[in-house]
Amino acid sequence: MSNSNQWVSALNGIVGEPNVIQDPDRLKAYAVDGLAPKAVVIPGKVEEVSRLLSYAHLEKLAVVPRGNGTKMAAGGIPGKIDLVLSMLRIHRITEHDIPNLSLSVEAGITLAEVQKKLAGTGKGSFLPLDPPYSEQATIGGIIAANSSGPRRYLYNSARDLLLGLKAVSPHGDVVAFGGKTVKNVSGYDMTKLMIGSWGSLGVITEITTKLLPLPEASATLLASFGDLAKAGSLTRKILHSVLLPSAMELMDGRAAGQIGEKAKYLVAFSLEGVGEAVDRQVAEIEELAKREGAVDTKVLKGEDDRTFWIRVRDFALASVRARLIAPLPVILRSNVVISKLAEILGNYEKMAQTAGIGCALIGHAGNGILTSYILDYDAAKMGPVVDLIGKFTDEAAKHEGNLIVESSPRDLKERVSVWGRPRSDNVVMRRLKETVDPGGVLNPGRFVGGI
Amino acid sequence: MEKDSMIGELVRLVGRENVLSSDMHFKLYEYDASLIRSKPDCIVLPTSTEQVSKVVKFAHDHKIPVIARGAGTNLSGGSVTVRGGIAIVLTKMNRILDMDIENLRVVVQPGVVTLDLKNVLARHGYLYQPDPASEKVTTIGGNFAENSGGPHCLKYGVTSNHVLGVELVLYDGQVVQVGGKALDNPGYDLMGVLGGSEGTLGIVTQAVLRIMPKAEAVKTMLCIFNSIEDGGNTVTAIIGEGIIPATLEMMDNLTIKAVEEAYHVGFPTDAAAILIIELDGLKDGMERLTERILDICRQNHVREIRVAKDQAERDKIWAGRKGAFGAVGRLRPNYLVNDGTVPRTRLPETLAKVVEIGKKYNLPIANVFHAGDGNLHPLILFDERDKDELARVHAAAMEIMKLCVDMGGTISGEHGIGVEKIQGMSLIFSARDIAAMKKVKAAFDPLNLFNPGKVLPETEKAA
Repeated sequence: MSNSNQWVSALNGIVGEPNVIQDPDRLKAYAVDGLAPKAVVIPGKVEEVSRLLSYAHLEKLAVVPRGNGTKMAAGGIPGKIDLVLSMLRIHRITEHDIPNLSLSVEAGITLAEVQKKLAGTGKGSFLPLDPPYSEQATIGGIIAANSSGPRRYLYNSARDLLLGLKAVSPHGDVVAFGGKTVKNVSGYDMTKLMIGSWGSLGVITEITTKLLPLPEASATLLASFGDLAKAGSLTRKILHSVLLPSAMELMDGRAAGQIGEKAKYLVAFSLEGVGEAVDRQVAEIEELAKREGAVDTKVLKGEDDRTFWIRVRDFALASVRARLIAPLPVILRSNVVISKLAEILGNYEKMAQTAGIGCALIGHAGNGILTSYILDYDAAKMGPVVDLIGKFTDEAAKHEGNLIVESSPRDLKERVSVWGRPRSDNVVMRRLKETVDPGGVLNPGRFVGGI
Repeated sequence: MEKDSMIGELVRLVGRENVLSSDMHFKLYEYDASLIRSKPDCIVLPTSTEQVSKVVKFAHDHKIPVIARGAGTNLSGGSVTVRGGIAIVLTKMNRILDMDIENLRVVVQPGVVTLDLKNVLARHGYLYQPDPASEKVTTIGGNFAENSGGPHCLKYGVTSNHVLGVELVLYDGQVVQVGGKALDNPGYDLMGVLGGSEGTLGIVTQAVLRIMPKAEAVKTMLCIFNSIEDGGNTVTAIIGEGIIPATLEMMDNLTIKAVEEAYHVGFPTDAAAILIIELDGLKDGMERLTERILDICRQNHVREIRVAKDQAERDKIWAGRKGAFGAVGRLRPNYLVNDGTVPRTRLPETLAKVVEIGKKYNLPIANVFHAGDGNLHPLILFDERDKDELARVHAAAMEIMKLCVDMGGTISGEHGIGVEKIQGMSLIFSARDIAAMKKVKAAFDPLNLFNPGKVLPETEKAA
């Protein structure tokens, strides 16, 4: 391998000197698990990404793709990092086909900016994804991490929305998959394979997605419960009813308190659609909640409706900011069969109490996804937190699920498996990575099984 | 390996009763619903995952191609053994293993017939959404391998949006679990790439499906037009208004006449086009939405609108649509169906050009399609004994594929590439794109024994 002076001049040649960061002080901000890159490159064109990866492949450099850095605390500890590849300058809206309800955008644009443009164009439309870091997260990062939010209950997740994408392979090949038709079975569905691959198979440069018209009306119904079993029963009844909320979240008192709602357990419903249907669902769910034993109910509309869901989405971020602690909370994400979510939330709550760990719990009650936030983590709590993660994982596994560590400081990563329990299909995943990226250029060591 | 010893070995692995090897059987399993034919060297009908695994391991050890097959309704040659080998017919593995209604999941074997499952679920008030027109005979395994669509996919997505996990036999016979009842399992979305992989990556021996409660209200409308352009423009206008119904299906005059002759469902045989528009969901606001749609129809010169008054009327409309291929099949000895897909705004101009292509090659083309998805189904009618006509059919089919690509679309929306469209792959993908797909194939199937000769053209080299 050539020395770093040589390759820095090669990088300068590809993206131009102002777009290469080498100052060690500035590089610290791009460290992953304490490991700073030797340089950050900020290409402005897809062709530059291609040249950068060809070069990295040739020189055996390890490359970490990055947007606004909201997910850098995820994944396994990297074996090495040479380059951070920032996608922030590749950020155009390349095609907005309003009558076809489709949109193509580049990776570096934020979802927030996309939504603003969509809402203000024509009759108004939106991309039905509502992941965390509502203002900061970029499209590329959201798709690479398969990030989702409460409204996936009605709108599903990226794999159900994307029509195609473009990427650069670990060898520097520019490739395009899918297209802009809503149905497409031509060749393998590589788009789905790239979603959630955490930049380990290619660098996503552009996506094409379906859009939905903005709902005519929306409202939120909150139901607070003293008894978790009753809250759980309400969510299951809605799940099996004809009603169609866009989100159904169940949270414990600690989580509710932090977003400004007083409740031992809170169930939050988002209702969107035609006015008549929203009104009827609010009324019907409210009545059902009361029958199930809700101690209080509340309807949010307009700005209150909007900010409530932003608080849920940005739960970790807001809490970290409020406490001014180091921005690396421990966030755990469990996936389980839907009907057991409330029961598991209760068990997690007890386990955390017994361990003396402060833990806020928020679950997508219609999807079986439960997020646990340990926001005041410090190294002194490492032992008990490691134990707790083991217990949480066992509990999820009992219900056909698993647990991944979505965010964590490095010391904890050294003690737990951040991608959960190994599964029998990991053997295929490993072969896939070895076939697509034999040189280990992209994000080495950070994905499932140390891929 | 000698054919006789292969058959002997397979009999030992799965039992005499599960092996077919007579000439008559070879003839029965040499085709699917496409025009492609080729005989397998042996046919096995395994009854368990273990048997599938044993057969695949045997094939791997002796480098024999294996092709999984369900009901053989494939429209692109996907289930034809073009390189010979073992046809693994999964129709004996047809049990529903787990009705996990409280978790909105069912676990089935691959040979379960789609409609049988839907009928069982309906008794509990639940739905499995994908509804390919051939659902009366097609199997879940085949639907997943082809990523089948159907009318309701407009609103609910295609098969791969509803299959959440599989038990998969890998190339060496190893059995793994991919996905499952819970969402978002860690790692690559292998389910995503398995859906629609046409049996080229592995063999599914169990599938976990997502089900949902039946909608509160359904409204089905039959809209009759005097010109096909008006019908196409109506579709574009509905989507353009931001309305996404549950279905938006269209048929042209030739199809309408064939359906009416075959089934007598009450379609007007002098109509140039009909649209079947269905809304489902909550009853609230549905009347208002219906009115908006009917307004759009009227602006586009609809001749008549019939709203189904009850389930019987609704069933009749759908019987007409789902029987369309069969009805058209009565007109000439053969048909070739394309399923090119275009952005839905380009539908009217694409249709007009399909008509021109039919004229140019002097071939009757019946059109029945998932209009809301932009998914065309031009059925080119012919007699395969007429070699000149057959050549014109293939030329016309290629031209329709090219047309769809030129319109910003793709060559297959739901029927798969198989053998039939393999030459069309380079119309939409670069050599590099195809090379990337081949890496996926190599990771799953390093010896190229799962359904060889399908999906990916062999001659492509990365530039």
